[in-house]
Amino acid sequence: MIHREKKFNSVRIQPGLGEEKFEMTFNRLQQAVFLRDCKTVKTLTERMVMDGVDLFEILNQGLIPGMLEASERFRRGEFFIPELLMSSRALKIGLSILRPLIQEIRENVLGRVVIGTVKFDLHDIGKNLVIILLEGNGFEIIDIGVDVSPEKFVKAVEKNRAQILAMSSLLTSTMSWMKSTIELVHASGMNGLVKTMVGGAPVTSIFARNIGADAYCREATSAPALAKRLLGIEANGQTSFVK
Amino acid sequence: MIIENVIKECQIKGRKNPKLLILGCAVMEQELRQFQNGQTEFKFFDYGLHRTPENMAKSLQTEIDRASEGDYDGVVLGYGLCSNGIVGVQSQNKPLIIPRIHDCITLFLGSPESYREQSAKHPGTYYLTPGWIEKGQTPISKYESYAQSYDEETARWVLHEEMKNYTRIAFIDTGVYPLELEPYRKIAHQNAEFLGINYEELPGSPLLFKELVCGPWGKDFLIVEKGQSIQQEMFLDL
Repeated sequence: MIHREKKFNSVRIQPGLGEEKFEMTFNRLQQAVFLRDCKTVKTLTERMVMDGVDLFEILNQGLIPGMLEASERFRRGEFFIPELLMSSRALKIGLSILRPLIQEIRENVLGRVVIGTVKFDLHDIGKNLVIILLEGNGFEIIDIGVDVSPEKFVKAVEKNRAQILAMSSLLTSTMSWMKSTIELVHASGMNGLVKTMVGGAPVTSIFARNIGADAYCREATSAPALAKRLLGIEANGQTSFVK
Repeated sequence: MIIENVIKECQIKGRKNPKLLILGCAVMEQELRQFQNGQTEFKFFDYGLHRTPENMAKSLQTEIDRASEGDYDGVVLGYGLCSNGIVGVQSQNKPLIIPRIHDCITLFLGSPESYREQSAKHPGTYYLTPGWIEKGQTPISKYESYAQSYDEETARWVLHEEMKNYTRIAFIDTGVYPLELEPYRKIAHQNAEFLGINYEELPGSPLLFKELVCGPWGKDFLIVEKGQSIQQEMFLDL
C-alpha cells in the first residue's frame, strides 16, 4: 500500500504544481489505460496518490475516461477483444492502488452488488470489467459467475442482502433470462429491497425498459455512476437511464 | 399476405419463381449456393462484419439500396439478428425476407428447437462448420492473429480470457462437403485439443438453407414490408 503524506482528500492542486501540469497528468493516465500500458498506469497512479491528488479525480478523470475511450473504439470496430482486455487489465492495476485508500476514507462500502451473466450465457469480459469498476468505486461485489439461473440470482440477493442485482448478457438469445430474473425478483417480494441493473452488448434501453429493469448500463464505464444513483448517492456522468 | 405479394409481383412479371437477391454471410456460402436456381442472385459478405454490428447494418444497407433499382421481387438476408447487426436495415421498395433466428448456428442445425436444445445442454459450445473454418474464425486462428500483434504470453492470456468458459467444440456437418469434410473435421478436432475441451460432431440440416433460398418462408422467417426497418423486438419472444 502507498502511504500518502497527507490524507486531504479535497486537496486538488499541490503547491508548486500548476493546473496545467495536472491536466497533463490526467491526460497521460487516460492515455496509459487506453494504450494498455500497465507499467505507466501503475507509476502515474502511485505518483498522483503521493502528490495528494483527489482519489476520485484520479479515478474519474484519469482511469475511467481512458477505459471509456478503449470501449468506444471497441464498439466502433477499431479495437478488438485483445485491446479491450488489456485496457481492462491496466485499469485494474490503477484501481488496485486506489481501492484500499478509498476504503480507508469511506470505512463503509457503498453498497452490496450481486452480479452475474444470465442463464445459458458464458460471456464474462464485460461483466468482469463492471466488477473491476464497481469494486474500485467502493462497492462490495458478490460475483456469482456465468450461466446463472433466475433462482440462483434471487437466492444470492437474499443471502447477501444485496441492494443491487446486476445482470449481463452477450447474446440476443439469452437476454430474455433477464426478464425471467426480474419477474422472479418481483414474485419473491424483493421488489422494493433490491434494484436491478442490466447491460451487455445486445441489450438496448428499450429492452431494459420493457422488462422492467431499474437501470440500463449502456457501457461498463457508466456502471459505478448508475449504481450510485440507484442507491440515492450523488453521481455525475450517468449516460443511461435509471427508473 | 406479404409472401403472396411477392408471388403476385413475380407473376405480373411473367416469372415462375420470384427473382430474389440473397445477401448472406460468407460462412454459409456453400450451404446456400447448393439451392441456387436460375433467378436467384447471391452476394456474400466478409465474416469480419460480425465483430462490429454497426458495420454490418451499414454494409447490408448499402447493398439493399443498390438493389432498389434492380427488378428483384424481394431481398433475402442470410443473417439472423446477429447481435443486432441487422437492426435498422430497411428496403424502400422491396420486401425483406429474414430468418427469424438469433444467429446462423440455427441455420446450420436446421431449427431453432435444436439450437435451443444444444445451448441448454452445453451453453459453452464453440460451433464450427467447414465454412466457418474457411471464412470465419477458430480459436487457433484467433490465437495466431493475437500472436501477430502481441507477445506469446499476452496472446495466450487474451485467448484464455476469451475462451475460458467454453467446454466443447461442436463440428456441424451440414452435408454440403461430402468429399472434403475430412480436413475440416481435423481442424475442428485440433481446436478442441488446443483448448483442452471436448469435441463433438453434430448432424446439420439443409432445411432452413433451402427454405431461405426457395421459400415458402414459414414460421421460422420474417417478412419485413418495404419502408419498414428491422427491429430487435421482431426476433424476441417476450
